[in-house]
Amino acid sequence: MTTATAATGKAAQRAAMGLGWGTFFCGFLPGLLQYRLGQRSRAAVALGTCTLLFFMGWVFVRDRLFGFALLSPDDGGRAAGRFGWVWPTLAKMGLPLTLPELLNLPAHALGSILSFDDSPSGQRLWRLPRRMEDLGGFLTAASGMLAAFWSADGHFGMRWQRDASEQTPPPPCSPALACGLSWLLPGLGHALAGQRGKGLLMGLAVAAVFAIGMVAGEGHAVDRAIAPVWWIGQSLFGGGALFAALITAPIAMGPSFPENLELGTNLCTVAGLMNLVVMVDAFTVAERVSFPLRAAAVAK
Amino acid sequence: MNLLLRLLVYVPVLFLIALVVVGQQHVTARETVRDAGRRTVRWLGYTAAIVAVMLAIEFVFID
Repeated sequence: MTTATAATGKAAQRAAMGLGWGTFFCGFLPGLLQYRLGQRSRAAVALGTCTLLFFMGWVFVRDRLFGFALLSPDDGGRAAGRFGWVWPTLAKMGLPLTLPELLNLPAHALGSILSFDDSPSGQRLWRLPRRMEDLGGFLTAASGMLAAFWSADGHFGMRWQRDASEQTPPPPCSPALACGLSWLLPGLGHALAGQRGKGLLMGLAVAAVFAIGMVAGEGHAVDRAIAPVWWIGQSLFGGGALFAALITAPIAMGPSFPENLELGTNLCTVAGLMNLVVMVDAFTVAERVSFPLRAAAVAK
Repeated sequence: MNLLLRLLVYVPVLFLIALVVVGQQHVTARETVRDAGRRTVRWLGYTAAIVAVMLAIEFVFID
């Protein structure tokens, strides 16, 4: 094997590798990856925007967020039996299992420490509706998603620093931007990355499934207060979740649940999960302009 | 009526999910639609097989 071939093989092998657990965990602190890349102003913007967005929502929801958690600090405790102390302890330390807020770790931890009260009256308050809680819950969740997009931006930057050479073409747009725009409007990221037709098709598919779900649930299929665990999946379609938070969720439900509410809730969650695929694909389409799949195939 | 509504929802939703799933392997919308159609038919076959197995289990163990 010539030296040149060995060097190419080595570069391809490196390109196929991930960036490691250290980089992964750094992604939970908005701006840390940008800071490691030497982009100090971008790091400050990342931390500032994520923190601001979280607290814009937190002023409306505060400790109500514990009621939206995947495992509530008291219910989760009961369900976990003798390990029941884990969830309240984590919540006390600022780490309740609230998704996607958990992705914005520092702001979420601060907000949780400031509002955690596990006394019986405090626990009762987690379950009481608040004014503007739909919008507040959306904004805190959006801060978690924004942190994830900043993290994706940092990961691409780290990869660029490690693998790019002078011949590497730049992506048509930032892969993280393509991903983030697809969160709000499915398909927009693909259009930016150069696959307009496919993006439109995938976006329409997500929007159609979401719309069918909303109609089936008579407008109540996406409501964090009614189905907080399902809402985690639904929030992966940010545009739809925002629409619901502003328009449909604040409308009070009648005396009985809509007949097909569970079908609608399911379909809207499916739409969110479909949009996760669309977001990842938008990121990949933009990324592969610079780092085609060939590199990984060569390494194998 | 409710079952009919669910069946009417199921097939188009399956096609829409297929559009997103196969879209990852294609570049153009035309290729994606064509492949999604084939994938939907295959998934409908799997669905029919699963329903048949469930009915068989019901017939053997419950009825």
